Amino acid sequence: MPYRIVDIADYKISKNAGDILVTYSLGSCVGVTVYDPVAQIGGMIHCMLPLSKVDRDKAAQRPAMFVDTGMQLMLNQLFDSGVRKSRLKIAVAGGSHILNDDSIFKIGERNFTVLRKILWKNSMLMNIQDVGGEISRTIRLHIGTGRFTVKSQGTEVHYDLPRKD
Amino acid sequence: MTYPEKIERRIEEFPEMPALCRNLLQSLEDPNVDFSQLEEQIQYDPGLTSNVLRLANSAYFGAAGSVNSLRVALMRLGTRRISEVVTAIMVSPMMLRTLSGYDLRTQDLLQHSVWVAVASEELARLKGYRDVKMLFTAGLLHDMGKIILDPFVREQQENLLHEGLSQSFDQREKEYLGMSHAQAGATLLGKWNIPQEITAAATWHHDPESAEEYPEQVNMVHLADILGYAEGIGTGVDGMKYRASQMAQKRLGLQKSDIEYVASLTLDKMNELQSLLT
Repeated sequence: MPYRIVDIADYKISKNAGDILVTYSLGSCVGVTVYDPVAQIGGMIHCMLPLSKVDRDKAAQRPAMFVDTGMQLMLNQLFDSGVRKSRLKIAVAGGSHILNDDSIFKIGERNFTVLRKILWKNSMLMNIQDVGGEISRTIRLHIGTGRFTVKSQGTEVHYDLPRKD
Repeated sequence: MTYPEKIERRIEEFPEMPALCRNLLQSLEDPNVDFSQLEEQIQYDPGLTSNVLRLANSAYFGAAGSVNSLRVALMRLGTRRISEVVTAIMVSPMMLRTLSGYDLRTQDLLQHSVWVAVASEELARLKGYRDVKMLFTAGLLHDMGKIILDPFVREQQENLLHEGLSQSFDQREKEYLGMSHAQAGATLLGKWNIPQEITAAATWHHDPESAEEYPEQVNMVHLADILGYAEGIGTGVDGMKYRASQMAQKRLGLQKSDIEYVASLTLDKMNELQSLLT
C-alpha cells in the first residue's frame, strides 16, 4: 500500500486513488481530513498549535503548524484542485490531553476549539470526530474510497462512506 | 527474582559510558582546558570527528559560516557545548531502538529526548534563566530508564495500562515493577558517574515537587517533557498519562502563549538535530 506520511506541522493533498494518507502520534495535535468522494480528492493536515499569532515568523515558514493558517492553506488548495464544498466529508481526530489536565498544557482543547470555529465560519460540518481523552491516535485516509481510520492503543476503528451503487 | 532485582541486574549489564566520552567530560570540567589536548583526544576517532564537525555546522549549535577543521569547530563550540555535543553523539545510538513495551518505534525515544533537550533550553532562554548548567544533556538523557525498563513494561503491559485509575504511568511503574523509569534512569546515570545536574533531572522529571537539588534543571526538563507529550513527540502507550506540575509552571511564571511559542520554536530544531544524530 502506498502510504504517504503527513508529518507533524505538515499537510498533503492527493488525487491518486491508490494513496493512503497517514499521520502518526496525534496527542493534543489535531488531524483533519477533508475528502470529496465525487472528485476523489482528499487532504490531511496535522496541526500542533491553535493560532498563528503566537509566532508569525514560524507561521510564514510553516503555515501547517497552526490550525488557523494551516486549514486556510489546505482548504484553498483543495478548492483550487476542484473539490466542492457541498460534497466534502470532514473527519477530525486528536485534541487529547495529559492526565487530569487543568493546566496551561490544554493545547488539545484549544486546538479543537479553533478548528470548530474555522469550520463553522466556512459553513462546513464535521462528519466524524474522535477527539479528547488521554490517548494518542494514528489516522489514515484512503483516497480511493474515502475510508477514514483511527488507531489508538492497538485498536483500529474504520469509518466508511455510504456506498452508492 | 523480583522486578527490582531484575532491573538492577539489567542496569549492571548495560554498557558503560564510552571511555572517550567520560574522559572528555572530565577534561571539560576544567574551564581552562587546553583545546589542542581535546583535539588530540577526538581526532583519533574519525566517526566522532566527522560528527562533531556536522553538529558544529548545524543551525542549532553552529554560527554563521561553515567550519571544516576540528580545532576551529571546538573553539567555536566552546567547552560547554563540546561536552553536550560529544555526549549527544556518543549516547544517541543507544536510544535508537524499538521499545515494544512502551510501543516506541526505533526513532521515537531519540526524537522525544532531543525535543526535551531543545525545549528545555528554549524555555530557559524565554524565561530569562542564563547558564543553567548541563540543561541540554539533562533533557537528552532524562528517559534513559525506559531502555532499562522496557522488557518488564512489556511483561506487565496489561496491568500498567488498565483503565479507570487516575494514577500516572510512573506511579504505575512503581506499583507493578517496584521502580519507575525515572529512578531506573537515574541509577544508570549514577553508575556512569556523570554530573549531578543530569542525574537530578532524570530522577525528578515526573515529580519536580520532591526535587532536593537543581530545581532549574528539574523544572525545565519536566515542563519540556510534558510539552513534548502534549504535542505527540515520541509518545508511546504512556505518552499522555503523566501530570504537569503546577508548582513548576508557577515557579517559571509560565503562560499558555509561552509554551505554544516554545513548541513552535522547538519542532524544526529537533528535526535538524535528530537527523544529524541518526
